[in-house]
Amino acid sequence: MDNALTSSGMKKSFGRSLLYTLPMFLITFMFMTGGRPDFSRPASALAMVVTFLFVNILYFLMHYTGKTDKFRAILFIIFALSLSFTLINNMLETRNSMSFSQADILECKIPFCHLVIPMMILPAAFTNSIIFPGSIIGGFANIASMVVLWLVATLVLGRGFCSWGCFYGGWDDGFSRIRKKPAIKKISEIWKWMPFAVLIMVSLTAALSLIPTYCDWICPFKAVTEFEQVTSVESATKAVIFVSLFAGLVVVLPVLTRKRTQCGFLCPLGAINTVSNKVTPFTIKIDKKACTECFKCVEVCPLFALSTEGIKEGKASVFCSKCGKCVDACSKNAIHFGIKGVPSCTMKNFSRNLFLFVSFLFMSVFSAGSIINSLQSLLNLIF
Amino acid sequence: MKKVKIIAGITWAFICLILIIILFPGLNSFSASAAKLPFMKINPNYSGGEVAQQLIATGCTLDIRKPVFDGLIKKRNKGFVQLDWRGNVPDKIVDTIDYDLDNKPDFCIFVDRDQSKTVLDPINSKVRDIIISTPTSYGWAVRVELIK
Repeated sequence: MDNALTSSGMKKSFGRSLLYTLPMFLITFMFMTGGRPDFSRPASALAMVVTFLFVNILYFLMHYTGKTDKFRAILFIIFALSLSFTLINNMLETRNSMSFSQADILECKIPFCHLVIPMMILPAAFTNSIIFPGSIIGGFANIASMVVLWLVATLVLGRGFCSWGCFYGGWDDGFSRIRKKPAIKKISEIWKWMPFAVLIMVSLTAALSLIPTYCDWICPFKAVTEFEQVTSVESATKAVIFVSLFAGLVVVLPVLTRKRTQCGFLCPLGAINTVSNKVTPFTIKIDKKACTECFKCVEVCPLFALSTEGIKEGKASVFCSKCGKCVDACSKNAIHFGIKGVPSCTMKNFSRNLFLFVSFLFMSVFSAGSIINSLQSLLNLIF
Repeated sequence: MKKVKIIAGITWAFICLILIIILFPGLNSFSASAAKLPFMKINPNYSGGEVAQQLIATGCTLDIRKPVFDGLIKKRNKGFVQLDWRGNVPDKIVDTIDYDLDNKPDFCIFVDRDQSKTVLDPINSKVRDIIISTPTSYGWAVRVELIK
């Protein structure tokens, strides 16, 4: 529980960084291989070894360099890309198409994702059932597993789920890093409340129609996962909406603003995760004494969680997804990962190490399956 | 008070650490437990409802499901009944359906699987139109729109 800081923040020596990586190394090895690595299929074994080494090198570098966001983002973006690749590959193998048919709906074969959860709540309370044509248990992306994964992750990480667990967030996170400086600098902070409006709207419309309206009409990620077969004007309209929202909120606006606009302005699950941010033990703390009020952190925050007023008061808002961008940007080490109840600027290293272990372990194990699958498919394609 | 807060915060953080460590190895059993929760079943608007009658012919089974009118709080005025033909389904299906079990035919249905053509002949005035008629992995399925 040391409190010492080197001049470059949380940077550690090579040996100490290796020591901190060892538990992650062992646990990810157990989770990825089940304790018995299978080398009978070379492509699968190679994909597993590469993924295992890759995640552990990233974790090591987080400790060795003292930087968080840079290495988190690499895995986060690869997670989003590989998940879409795996999902599309799975659909092409099972259905020969990226679109799902009426038969897939009737047979409840649609993969479930966490973005459906906000629309499930009211109908589940009133009708005792789930308004989604997926599989409750068993099969690819079943409802019970996804609900358990999200529930635990949001309890533990709060809105940190949006930067360490969501397999869509990597898309706009990636696009928000393309330009070095934003072309659009002034964005009204009022937009950060928009996900709550979307949450209320989709919850009510889903409850009244018993249709997951966000998935059916709005979700931008339909453009990179699955969508309804275009057979009518209605399904064509939906496809246009999906592609337009993806292009606008996931590609163009993040590039121009350097903000995660889909996550910040639209995602209804992000709104729920914002509320659960009150429960998680992990937070971002600001040391008012060390802060020079340069507001670089406010500038780089991708989710409008930091404001000049908040910094002056020494507070990050509940919108914080604990991505670590502000922590990396602060040259005075005035912002750091902390634990609620523990005063700011005490136990900085301990709090960061504990948070990184918890959040990175979740992301690496959650993402490993789709990264291994994608690598394996690519290797099979090449050889 | 400050010490209590620190201890509480760190304890909660360690509980979270344990939760994440046990989450993935225990996911199958946690999911199985979650699946047993009372609301963990697919809404009949998607699942098609429970099977009410099963008619068996040579190699082919016809499941006639319970009519679905489910709404959020009360029953809706419009609903549907789903028919599933399973097994060795003939190329041309001709069936007379009594979905409400009153021993009177409610509609006749003709499906030409090769041409993907479905014709509904309503007998009961509550029977309206065909909503879905599609091949499935188990055979063929049709949803017929009903009013109360």
